[in-house]
This record gives sequence, structure tokens and C-alpha cells, in this order.
Amino acid sequence: MAIFNKVYYFNMVTQVHQSNVVIIGAGASGSVAALRLAAAGFEVVCLEQGDWVGPADYMGAQPEAELAWTERWNPDPNARRGLGDYPLTGEADVRPVMFNGVGGGLVQWAAMWQPLLASDLRVRTLDGIADDWPISWGDLADAYAQVARDMSVSGLGGDPALPEMNPYPNPPIPIGKIGRVAAEGMDRLGWHWWPGANAIASRRHGALQACQRRGTCMTGCPENAKATPSLTHWPSALAAGARLVTGARVMEIPVDERGRVRGAVYRDRDGVEHFQPAQVVLLAANAVGTARLLLLSTSPRFPGGLANSSELVGRRLMQHPYQTVAVVCEEPLESWQGPWGQVIYSLEFAETHPDRDFVRGAKWMVMPHGGPMFAVAEYQEAHRHEGFDAIWGPNFHRAADEVFGHAFTWGIQAEDLPEEGNRVTLDPVVCDSSGLPAARIEYRVSENTRRMLDFNVTRAVEAAEASGAVSTLVSDVWPTGIGHVLGTTRMGNDPQTSVVDRWCRAHDVPNLYVIDGGVFVTGGSANPTATIMANALRVADHLIDARASQEVPA
Amino acid sequence: MSGSKPTPAQRLTLGRLADILVAEGLGMPAASTVGVADDLLDRCLAAAPCLSEPVLALLDKVPADGLDAFVRRLEADRPDDFAVLSTTIVGAYYLSADVRKRIGYPGQQPSPLPVESEPDYIDMLERVLDRHPGYRECP
Repeated sequence: MAIFNKVYYFNMVTQVHQSNVVIIGAGASGSVAALRLAAAGFEVVCLEQGDWVGPADYMGAQPEAELAWTERWNPDPNARRGLGDYPLTGEADVRPVMFNGVGGGLVQWAAMWQPLLASDLRVRTLDGIADDWPISWGDLADAYAQVARDMSVSGLGGDPALPEMNPYPNPPIPIGKIGRVAAEGMDRLGWHWWPGANAIASRRHGALQACQRRGTCMTGCPENAKATPSLTHWPSALAAGARLVTGARVMEIPVDERGRVRGAVYRDRDGVEHFQPAQVVLLAANAVGTARLLLLSTSPRFPGGLANSSELVGRRLMQHPYQTVAVVCEEPLESWQGPWGQVIYSLEFAETHPDRDFVRGAKWMVMPHGGPMFAVAEYQEAHRHEGFDAIWGPNFHRAADEVFGHAFTWGIQAEDLPEEGNRVTLDPVVCDSSGLPAARIEYRVSENTRRMLDFNVTRAVEAAEASGAVSTLVSDVWPTGIGHVLGTTRMGNDPQTSVVDRWCRAHDVPNLYVIDGGVFVTGGSANPTATIMANALRVADHLIDARASQEVPA
Repeated sequence: MSGSKPTPAQRLTLGRLADILVAEGLGMPAASTVGVADDLLDRCLAAAPCLSEPVLALLDKVPADGLDAFVRRLEADRPDDFAVLSTTIVGAYYLSADVRKRIGYPGQQPSPLPVESEPDYIDMLERVLDRHPGYRECP
């Protein structure tokens, strides 16, 4: 067993291309690990297939902001077709969305900050379904607090539905007109609600400016008020010595004769192949990208893909199937204004209840309703069954007249349970621009999830009525996801039923770690970024603490 | 913008189709009268270049007569093509300063957060705390 510590690092530094750690992916989890490990003296190289993006790329300050969704800032990589994107194929009720670039999904996220429920990690014990996590909520508590500080989260502590937490670093963003109307409805019904926590600065904090309510969060924040790792983590990580290589599409993670990973083979923008040696590899490419890369990394020792003796790599994909209820009110709400995070949320129906015909539950959150194009799209979806003349011609203007500026959204985010048939595989035909097989997605919304959504949508309509709504617009299950991809390399204590252990180290490969949302055992109903980042920090701290005993390649 | 700019004939066709989809009504002007087939079309296609090639190709195949029936068939039988056409028209329409003024939309403008010394929802939150059973304890 080799020694993996700072002394060893300094002895090895003359081998110019050797790094202690290679991190694959510069998004939510990779950025956390890069900063933590670089600050602790590790030599860190991060390989990111996309590029840097920033305010100069964002369209939110232009009159054409709503058209940004059409192509350049479309969350669907198949529609966006950016240089860092790879195709997603397959038959799926919900197609994953993602962003490939520095910051990953946190470039386009809505910045909703939501720790898991304590029960989310114990669903087998409490509800007799799926599996417990090998860690508890308490194992994440300190890391939740640290990453909330690093991400300049604005929110209000004390939510009784969650374990006690440290205060957020910034006060909550005012709930505004839409939050007030929604909260009054919940208050009349006696249901849980709480001011939303968001990684959006309510005042200047850290690397972030104060939010200007422009409402274009999900196509990039032109004001730098929304936390994204290119602001919150990478400047410090680079200053600490981390190296970030963009345009680096990893093709394979090779192993030595003992089955230890040796680093990463990647192809640059010009198609030139490189090998980045490393003692430890951290996969942080999201639950689709990481599974794809493990399945691509076959060898005589690992013919079914790296770290896949359990045959679970790629399986148990979870995505939080999502529906919306637009609440249309008589009074003007100016609901195109942001931020497009959660102004309030509810966990009233997030837990299992014996009187319901499904297990687990959904989280709700109130959001703005966007500009006129968004109002038209939602109005037309809801009224399309009435025929062409109901939504076009003179009636086209009904959307702007009745809905625009008068509506807000209750988003219903369902906990989908892990199922082995929901999975990521390699497409046998379609390839990306580097010649690597596309990720093929198979995903079906389960009967449990459909019942859960039906129940919650019905309750949300009741909440809308209690808020005084004049009408509601109910969406179908969104056919594209909301950027939550989880579960394809699950954590667990048993190597036969999990891919990584409680420290997110591959059972089969002692110097390979997965730190993205793939390690989730179950998905909860919470937006996953807080947990992904907290877990990545927990694992990075463990790597630092255990460096003396870390196995490395020969 | 990728590809060529719309020809006068393509603009004429788009304007006629646009007035079917976005007709005058509810106090709002028809699409062609605000420039949907003119500068607003150019701005729309510049912001969403992926629309340019398919919408211009579609416009070249539109019959000279029977536009109303054509656009209804397009919506029913070719939803992807209809989506390209309607997104272009609706996107261009709402770029119009006149249209925005009429619907009260200033665009996605910056507007600093109001300073709240004491949120006005504390009474409601206290009721949440009073009635909530607390989070589910776990082993």
C-alpha cells in the first residue's frame, strides 16, 4: 500500500504530469472537491468537457431574453448542442437535462437550496421501501452549513420540517406578492410553508452581488447574484493551485495490473488525445455522465465497465418527475420579476402517509411565471384541447390578457423511487463529436410516482383556490427533466448491491471515487444540489483525513 | 444569424401567416402591423439562429392561396414545423416595444430587492410553527 500524503506529493512533483487527484467535471461536486483538496495541498487537475461561461454569454439583460431558452440556453443538450454537450438518446418519459461547462448544472439552475429531510435517508427503515443510505442526516450537517456559506445562501432557518441547522449566511429574499398570495392560501388550509432558501444573494456576499430580480436565473445571471462555481469556488481553487482543463472530454479511465485507476484519457478540442496520470480519480460528471464514463472504461479486469461488479452502474436513475400548477389571480402580481428561485416552499406532503395510495411524497415550491412567451406557452398547453381557434387568431391574446403578470407557479417535485429498469447505457449507434457512444436513457414514470403527482396536483389546485385564484393551468408531467439526475452509482455498505461505499469510494477500485448525484441511494423530494455539494465536501474531507492510507496505482 | 436573411417573398408569406396566428383582438394589434415580418423577424432569428433555416425553408413551401387551411393542417399534422413557425412569430411579436407597452411588460429589467426590516408574514409563520408536528425522527 502506497502512502498518499503531502510528503509523498512533494517527492512526486518532479514527475511533471502526475497529479494527486484528477477530478472529472467542474460542476457542483467537482468544484467543491477541487477547492477543498487544493487548499489542503493536493495537486488537483480537473478535466471539464465544456468551457467557461459568464455574464458576457448570458442573454438575460437583452430584450431577447425569453428567446434564450430556444437554443443557446436551452437546458436540453440535444437542443442546445453546445461544444461540451453529448447526445442523449433512448425512450424516456422524462429526458434528462444538464449543462456541460465550468459550473455544470449550476450555470442554469434556479438556485433552490433544500437539504434532504432526515427521513429521506431512512426510507427502508421507516417506510419499508427502497433502501436506507449508509450515512445519516447528521453525517451531512456540518457540510450542509459550510457549503451554504460558500454558496452565499439566503434563507430563514427554523423550518420545523427539517432538523436544526445553522443559520443561513444571508436573510431570505422577500417573498413578494406571489409568495404572499401563496402563503395566505397555505395559511387558510393550515398547511406547511416556509420562506424559500436560495443560493442567490439577498445582499452583497462573498463573490456575489445582491439580486436585482431580473428573473433570468435559469439562463445565467447577468448580475452575478446567483451562486455558480465559476464565481464561488473556482477562483479560490485556482488560486490554491488547482488546474482546470476545459474542452477536455474524458474517454476512458484506465487501470493498472492491480485494478487501480491510473488517471484519465481525454481528447481536447482539436481531437488530440492526452493522458493525465493521477493517484486518485474523482468522478463528478453527473449521474448520466459518470455512468457513461464507467461503462466506457472496460478492460479485461472490468469487462462490464469500471466499478461495475454489482451490475448497478447506470441503473436506478432518478429524476424528480415534475408538474406545475399555474395559479392565475385577479390582481396584478408583476410575476415576470425574479428571482426565479423558490420564494416559498411546502413540505406538507413530502412524507409518507398511511391514508394515501403511494409512498413518500413531493416538495412544492412557488416561483415566478416569466414573460409573455412563457405565459402563452403555458396557456396554450392548458387550452390546446379546445382547438385551434381557442388559442390562435384573436384569442391568441387571451394568454397575455388573463395570465401574463397575474400568475405564479406551484412546482410539484415528486420523489421517484429507484428502479433498476430506469437506467443509463451506451447507445450502440449514436456518438458524440469525439466519437464516443451517446448516453442512452431508459426511464419510465412509475405508478407510485403518478399517484403521488395526481394527489399533489389536486392539493395544489386546492391551495390555489384558497389563495383566491380565478383559474389554474395544470401541466402534464414535464417530458424534459429539471436537471436532477441521481442514483446511477449508488452508495451502500454491500458491494453486491451498491457501487460505492459510504465514503463514495468504488467497492471494486480503491482509488476511484464518485462524488456527484449518482451516489444518492434514494432521491428524496428536495432539490439535490445542497446535498450533492455537502456530500462532495464530506468525501473531500475524508480524503484529506485518510490520505496516509489511500491506495494508489503502482 | 446562420444562413441567409429572409427574402421579401419570405417576409410577405410570414406576415400573412402571422396575421392568422396573431390576429387583431382584445385591443392588441395584428402581428404584421408591428413589424413581425420586418426588423423583429431579424432580431428573433439572430437570438435563436436554430429557427432560421427551418422557418425559411417552410416559408418557401407555403402555397399562395388557402393559408388558413395550410396553417391549421400544419398545426395538426406537423407539430415540429408548426412549433418553429409559431415560436418565430410569437418571439418576434413580443419583441415589439408597442406590444410590450400595451401588455405592461417592461422586459426582464433589474429591480433591486426591497429592504425588509421585518417581514410581514411572521404571524403566518408562527402559525406554521404552532401546528407542525416536527420533523420525522429517524433511527
